[in-house]
Amino acid sequence: METEKIFISADRRAKIIAWIVIVIFFLIYYTVMAMLAPAKKMETLRREYGYKQDVNNPTDDRIFTDSTYLDLLHKKSFLQSRVTMAATDSIYLSISLPDSTLKLEISGVTVHRAQIRRINISTLFSGSDNYIILSMLSSPLTISRNFSSIKKEPLMIRMAPKDTSEYVPDIIPDTADYEPVNYIMEMDNGIRLHIYQEDKLKPGDGLYRSLFDIYHRMRYAAKIFLRVITFRVPEYQPYIKLRIPRSDAKIIYRALPEKGQIALYF
Amino acid sequence: MKIPDDGFLKREVFRKGFNRLLILIAAISLLAFLLYCVPALQEVPFTGKIIITNSDELKKDVLYKKQITLIKRDIQRLSWRYNSYTSGQSYMVINTTDNLFYLYRNKKLIRQGHCSTGSFKMLKTEEGRSWIFKTPKGKFWIHGKTENPPWRRPDWSFVEEGLPIPPQDHYSRWEYGVLGDYALSLGDGYLIHGTIYKRFLGMPVTHGCVRLNDDDLEVIFNTLNIGSKVFIF
Repeated sequence: METEKIFISADRRAKIIAWIVIVIFFLIYYTVMAMLAPAKKMETLRREYGYKQDVNNPTDDRIFTDSTYLDLLHKKSFLQSRVTMAATDSIYLSISLPDSTLKLEISGVTVHRAQIRRINISTLFSGSDNYIILSMLSSPLTISRNFSSIKKEPLMIRMAPKDTSEYVPDIIPDTADYEPVNYIMEMDNGIRLHIYQEDKLKPGDGLYRSLFDIYHRMRYAAKIFLRVITFRVPEYQPYIKLRIPRSDAKIIYRALPEKGQIALYF
Repeated sequence: MKIPDDGFLKREVFRKGFNRLLILIAAISLLAFLLYCVPALQEVPFTGKIIITNSDELKKDVLYKKQITLIKRDIQRLSWRYNSYTSGQSYMVINTTDNLFYLYRNKKLIRQGHCSTGSFKMLKTEEGRSWIFKTPKGKFWIHGKTENPPWRRPDWSFVEEGLPIPPQDHYSRWEYGVLGDYALSLGDGYLIHGTIYKRFLGMPVTHGCVRLNDDDLEVIFNTLNIGSKVFIF
């Protein structure tokens, strides 16, 4: 009886150890694959936006480490992107990280300005391949998907009365309605723009923001997981996380079209 | 059969509880690793940070000077082009989220205040007709200006009140005095006009038009011309 117990216990322990080893190996594999993703993304960008030497007009490579040239390139890229967007009738967003400002613009006219309170961006933007990033940003970023805690258009459906006896005049809308404002806009080139409300106006605002963030971290992790288990390097999505006042966040989200465009200066 | 003593049962309960706690800790650690550590590891600078050399030798190079001149010229050209979009004439900006308006002349803000914009209500009939009452967003311009405008009631105005829809030329379609003293047309039936429901200014209550109080409306009517731009966001 005692021997059987010892045997079961040893068998169980071996199984547990085997599982632990499998999980550790998977985690190492998962981490390595996930860490390969940024390099793969950079390689893709390099192929698309990398500098191509002109045989007739060669450029000294040292120019890409010259602050004057890079500053001018930043300005040019941002302006180029805004000029493209201003040519349309649509509402677009200009983000200037050095000034900590977000501007909603229509045809070159600033219609709303917001102050950024906190900035957190991917290291991709401060990497050594600044030229590639700036070339990419010289065209506007187009939103491909929105994930938000508020509705873009808060439609309320009302059935028409059958006759005058059923008619009820409109009551004053409830402007005290409160929802925390947090959203993520995924761009066509994989960049994610997170805009979270900075102010904690009601108890639970901080918790809502954390839950929203955790939910989208899980979505990102699930994407990585699905690629990794099929032996493919996952897609890396650089991020820009901004915290702004709630009212500005709401205005910007409601104003931008579903497939709106964004210019970035960093 | 041997009955286990009390101490043995306590140890078993403790062991099971401890195992569950270990599993819970392991699951939370695993989740934290996947959600926070892996994305953080992805942000480890993989190509190194940019190193600014600002080589003096390069600055003296003719090709470098040429590149800088070219890029400066591009920036100047782009700035000029971008500024050409900005209207020097009078224009109006309407914020539909907060129901506010701003009036500009020579790029300077000359008046601001409350307005009312679309309610985002969708009116549906049992026959399947529907209307969405929202103010369109984007760039518009003033198509026409009217003093003492009459209101020609559209179909939804009758449907909303449960009334039968009269023929297009019926006298009951016309109402006077409800749009205030002035109206500025934005096209497609959308107007900037006055209101008799002044207590609703600053709220989203309209059927898509922009309502203003009498004083603001008068200033706007006198400032904006046909062709003036209206930016709605």
